[in-house]
Amino acid sequence: MRKMSIVGILALLLLVIAMPASAQDEIETYVLGVAQPFTGPLGSFGTDFSKGIELAVEEMNAELEAAGSNVRFEIASADTEGTPDGAARAVQTIVQTTGAQVIVGPLTTSEVLGAKQFVDENDIVIVAPASSGAAAGIPDDNIFRVIYPSDNFAARAFAEIAVSRGYQNVAILHVDDPFGNGLSESFTADFTELGGGEVVSIGYAPDPTDLTSEATSLSAEVSRLMSAGDTAVLCVCFLADAQKLFQVTMIDPVLTSVEWMGIENLANPELLADAGHAELLQNANFISVSFVDTQTPLSQPFVDAFTEKFGAEPGPFTNYAYDAANIAMLSMLVVDNDGAAVSEILPFVSNHYIGTSVQAYLDANGDQAIARYGIYNVSEDATEFTLVGTYDGSSGELSLNE
Amino acid sequence: MPGPLLVDSLVRSLQVGSLYALMALGITLTMSVIRLPNFAHAEYITVGAYTALVVSLAVSSNPVVILGLSALAAALVALICHFAVFRPLEKRNPSTYTMLLASFSVGLILRYILFLLVDRFDLFDRRIAVPLEIWYRSNSIILTNVFFWVVPTTLGLVLALSALLNYTPLGREMRALANNFELARVIGIRVERVKSLTWILVGLLAGVSGALWGIYSSVNPLMGWLAILSVFAAAIMGGMSSFVGTILGAYLVSFSENTVMQLLNYYLGLDFSFKPAVPFIIIILVLLLRPQGFTEFFNRARGLQR
Repeated sequence: MRKMSIVGILALLLLVIAMPASAQDEIETYVLGVAQPFTGPLGSFGTDFSKGIELAVEEMNAELEAAGSNVRFEIASADTEGTPDGAARAVQTIVQTTGAQVIVGPLTTSEVLGAKQFVDENDIVIVAPASSGAAAGIPDDNIFRVIYPSDNFAARAFAEIAVSRGYQNVAILHVDDPFGNGLSESFTADFTELGGGEVVSIGYAPDPTDLTSEATSLSAEVSRLMSAGDTAVLCVCFLADAQKLFQVTMIDPVLTSVEWMGIENLANPELLADAGHAELLQNANFISVSFVDTQTPLSQPFVDAFTEKFGAEPGPFTNYAYDAANIAMLSMLVVDNDGAAVSEILPFVSNHYIGTSVQAYLDANGDQAIARYGIYNVSEDATEFTLVGTYDGSSGELSLNE
Repeated sequence: MPGPLLVDSLVRSLQVGSLYALMALGITLTMSVIRLPNFAHAEYITVGAYTALVVSLAVSSNPVVILGLSALAAALVALICHFAVFRPLEKRNPSTYTMLLASFSVGLILRYILFLLVDRFDLFDRRIAVPLEIWYRSNSIILTNVFFWVVPTTLGLVLALSALLNYTPLGREMRALANNFELARVIGIRVERVKSLTWILVGLLAGVSGALWGIYSSVNPLMGWLAILSVFAAAIMGGMSSFVGTILGAYLVSFSENTVMQLLNYYLGLDFSFKPAVPFIIIILVLLLRPQGFTEFFNRARGLQR
């Protein structure tokens, strides 16, 4: 009996060894890392981005299966908590536990820079869908910021608008992080190059409880600059910070007497929900520039597929994550799951990829180089932001119809 | 530094200091009576602010209604946390460290429940629907309705709290509990009842301060947590037991964060990015130089330390 069992096992082993290669040809799985902030203030973005990536992977796997390919993608996610340290930990965890070579994410420039040292040292590729801070625009590294353009374009747009409006001096209030510092520095350089006058920058620590002293200082600086010519304020603040700032500035006689410019996330109808803030922005002839999504053949299919899968429409910028995941996966299909090789091929793949909102095209820093902006101001009834112009980052052409 | 700028800065310091004081009084009360350095207080403040937001959007923009309902909501949450977590833990005779950790955990749970709700109902970074109005204007000072609500409310609540502690049976029981817990129990004070009422009082204070803080700035799930360091700095200055010391500490923290920071920026060019370090510097200085805070100055006069 025992002899029979041994013979049986041996026969089974022989059968397995003798099986044709195609039957043994297991599915080859590439791990796509996803490092996003799933918790904290940016948690809702991270969760939505993750869904966009999940949809991209599902669609890609279906296509690969239909084409008879034995490659499949699977996702390994980790929470960056929205911080640089958290991003470094998340990327490291994904790489060390799954062997992933390509990571989609993180979300912000601070997070991207937090993970930079590890990815550079280990030939890991980061494909960041929404990071735009100028500080991460570095050539010859493994960080690719696809779809969403660098803030250098927005800074140039603000400088062009400032000159067009005849501002001689500008006072900037900016969040003191890579995003705020980068935009402030780029604007200063561009404004000076275009013949503008003095620029004063006042930084504030991220997540402020209160911006009272900063507002008072801003008021004093604007008062000083006004004696030397037309002066405007450029607000490089997140929404919650701007709300705190406006509570102070709306009763300040100096700051309510000058014109204001503000970054993209301030062209938010939520700011106009407060009558006092709406009045301040309207009286200040507030103007903002915002990256413009255009319709491509992929736009509506993405929205439809997302809505069908998750039962709700995609959140803001979720399509960027979907596009970033597709660029990452296409690159891996070309050169295999090898970070160094993906880093080489990704610009080529990216430059031939039609996104859901804009054609991807990378510059020497590996950053999105096609950048079209809409220019917005407050409508006459102060209930919404209306388009009053455009700025083409590629050609530097400004069109303003105020 | 130009005179009007300094005056303006002092006025704003007074307003922010009053808000810190309201928040810090609850911490001092918890520490004195319950003997818990309660970090979940930050979330009670946030609950108050979010209640104010919802009430202002859906019920009424009358500040009295807003403040009243915010106070009640935060008191309810404080009481639930007491019965669900702190009271069962106390029965196991835990160390202060255990209770401190528990308060961190309670705060974290509340914060993420808030995140979930806020995300679900799209209430990130919202303004309470109470318009800012200028009530007084001179050459160098502009005072708004918020200033006239915040400063008198703080002073009024401090006086009411003092009266409650000094002239009511509950206040006497709370003071007895603060001075000697075991003795208070032996002489027949209903300790659990006093603790529950203290939590309600703490919640009411947190709710009012959260609503006012929200009216002053904007509302998001992190607002209480972001303010808590400055608030703890104020409470530590009061030795975590003196109300007058806490209030003085609150004004000192606010004055340091605003007016002193402004002077340092103006004369030395120190960047405003260093502002968050101010409460830490104050806490360390107080702990190094005067660990008992201002308590000694007031231990015969005010608050629970008599």
